[in-house]
Amino acid sequence: MNKKRILIVDDEVSFTRLVKLNLEQAGDYEVRTESNGALAVSAAMAFKPDLILLDNIMPDLDGGDVIARLKSNASLKDIPVVFLTATVRKQEVDARGGVIGGFPFVAKPVTVSALVVCIEENLKNRQVRSEK
Amino acid sequence: MEDTSIKALLVEDNMEYAGLLRGFLADTPFPRFDLTHVEHLEKALQLLKERVFNIILLDLNLPDSRGLTTLDQIKAQAPGMPVVVLTGLDDRMLSLEAVRKGAQDYLVKGQIDARMLPRVMRYAIERKHIEEVLVEERYLLHSLLDYVPDNIYFKDLDSRFIRINKQMAELFGLNDPAKAVGKTDFDFFTKDHAKPAYEDEQRVIKSGRPLVNIEEKETWPDGRETWVSTTKVPLRDNHARIIGTFGVSRDITSRKQAEQQLKKTNEELARSEKALRETMQNLKTSHEELKHAQMQILQAEKMESVGRLAAGVAHEVKNPLAIIQMGIEYLSRSPLSGNENMPIVLKDMWNAIQRADSIVRGLVDFSASRELDLKVEDMNDVIDQSLLLVRHELLKSRVAMIKTLGINLPHVRLDKNRVQQVLVNTIMNATHAMPNGGMLTIRTYTRKLAEIDQDVGDRTGNRLRAGDYVLVTEIDDTGTGIPDDKISKIFDPFYTTKATGKGTGLGLTVSKKIIELHGGTIDIRNRRVGGVSVTIMFKTSGRQPV
Repeated sequence: MNKKRILIVDDEVSFTRLVKLNLEQAGDYEVRTESNGALAVSAAMAFKPDLILLDNIMPDLDGGDVIARLKSNASLKDIPVVFLTATVRKQEVDARGGVIGGFPFVAKPVTVSALVVCIEENLKNRQVRSEK
Repeated sequence: MEDTSIKALLVEDNMEYAGLLRGFLADTPFPRFDLTHVEHLEKALQLLKERVFNIILLDLNLPDSRGLTTLDQIKAQAPGMPVVVLTGLDDRMLSLEAVRKGAQDYLVKGQIDARMLPRVMRYAIERKHIEEVLVEERYLLHSLLDYVPDNIYFKDLDSRFIRINKQMAELFGLNDPAKAVGKTDFDFFTKDHAKPAYEDEQRVIKSGRPLVNIEEKETWPDGRETWVSTTKVPLRDNHARIIGTFGVSRDITSRKQAEQQLKKTNEELARSEKALRETMQNLKTSHEELKHAQMQILQAEKMESVGRLAAGVAHEVKNPLAIIQMGIEYLSRSPLSGNENMPIVLKDMWNAIQRADSIVRGLVDFSASRELDLKVEDMNDVIDQSLLLVRHELLKSRVAMIKTLGINLPHVRLDKNRVQQVLVNTIMNATHAMPNGGMLTIRTYTRKLAEIDQDVGDRTGNRLRAGDYVLVTEIDDTGTGIPDDKISKIFDPFYTTKATGKGTGLGLTVSKKIIELHGGTIDIRNRRVGGVSVTIMFKTSGRQPV
């Protein structure tokens, strides 16, 4: 079974580096990092990730803009996206079943295990969808 | 020894007759008469200049003077001297004339005897004396009547003037006091004054008791009004029968006007004082309201800035926290950690991140607690659901619970999650205050706010008022209570009595905010029996469920 490819887009370089280290240590993941929202689409085109972890607030192009570009690209629009946010509270994420505005959210700080659970769930959903 | 003899001067040109009179007087044992006899007027006048006599026996027809002229000259020389005129039988008219002109008596020659003469002389002296006293009395009385600046009057039984003094005549516009005689008050005053005055006088006459210093308002036909202080006394005759009244009245118009002015001034003063007091009270109230408003604004501003800060902090702090947390997780699974202390260090760091995160979360809670998702809820359900969340904590802390929830409580519009947050926070605080176990009591009921509850309210201006029906939730614990000097600070942001790491200092701040956003109140006080009682009140539309 191939490693699942995770693209993480976040302007916090330290965060992306540590998420990569943790995920690759914790599971069967291949993680690529991108710190610039503007480069997220080309990175996704090149990497073809199974799932994208996307920071909501970034300086140049924020999460909302990035997802708009992903959705307008036929080869990228079906890739599941999980938002990472430092502005939404855990309770709110929990209260809404981890989904805000139609997208799954993870509130920072997040434990590795919680992140893995979230990734696995969304990967599964995607498989369910693609099997239909 | 004092000389008590009566010194008499006899002026008589008839030597024989003079001898007869001397004889009469010599026989009188007491009082003794010391008689000096002269024959001429001139000699008499001379003696009167030189010596003091008590009485003169005067023959009007002398060699050097005849008739009444003789008397006139004696009177001129000795005005106060009693004079008894000696006349002949045919001079009766002359004798009467002499008495009219001031002689005390007359004796008709030839009809005088030894018993009569001394008596006539003594009476003459006495009469003269009485006359002088009367003159003196009259003089004093007239002085009193004419010069005292008060009005003095005498009236008969029908209140007609018998006599008034000059002062009163002047007041009546009369040039002669005599012109008032026979008239009444009705001739000078309006009926408004004359009638009660008449009635007063009739009362005095009937009762025989004086009216002393009564104040009367006099109204005059020209519309003038004057005031007098008057005393009315019954006038009696020699037999003490009341024959009228007399009185004295003094004009007190200026005093009365001054009094009225004073009264008016006092009233104005009292009004001013009252107005001043009211103004001061208003100022005080305004000042207090302003102070209150200012405090509210300050508090609101503090809250606003805390809120804005919270939103900013959340993002800026949570990112680094996320990085550190990821770092710790990575290190904890790293085979590089040969150091035996490594797990402890990593655990400490992990705990520190959780603490920082919970504080940031509290801040965000606070900043996010501005909007409510209001739905009609049953408070008892909200409580039960909250208890589910803390059941484990209560069991762990060996806290027993008594739940007395009212039945058929009116439903209220609540943000269930927020109110639950408050209840959980309150119960957790209570549990922390009972580290060795205790009793938690939860009650719900409705009641009508009494007067004493007025002014409880929040800073948004929603106030619970007397007469409002409220849904009350009370949560009592048997814990350690709150120190009196701390109780005023418990709602302040970041204020906590818990050990570092145990509390954020935001729980009650957020709770209060949430309840106030609902237009309700939260009140925390120490129970007299120990522990703390938290009272949360929401306004309801009435007693019955809605």
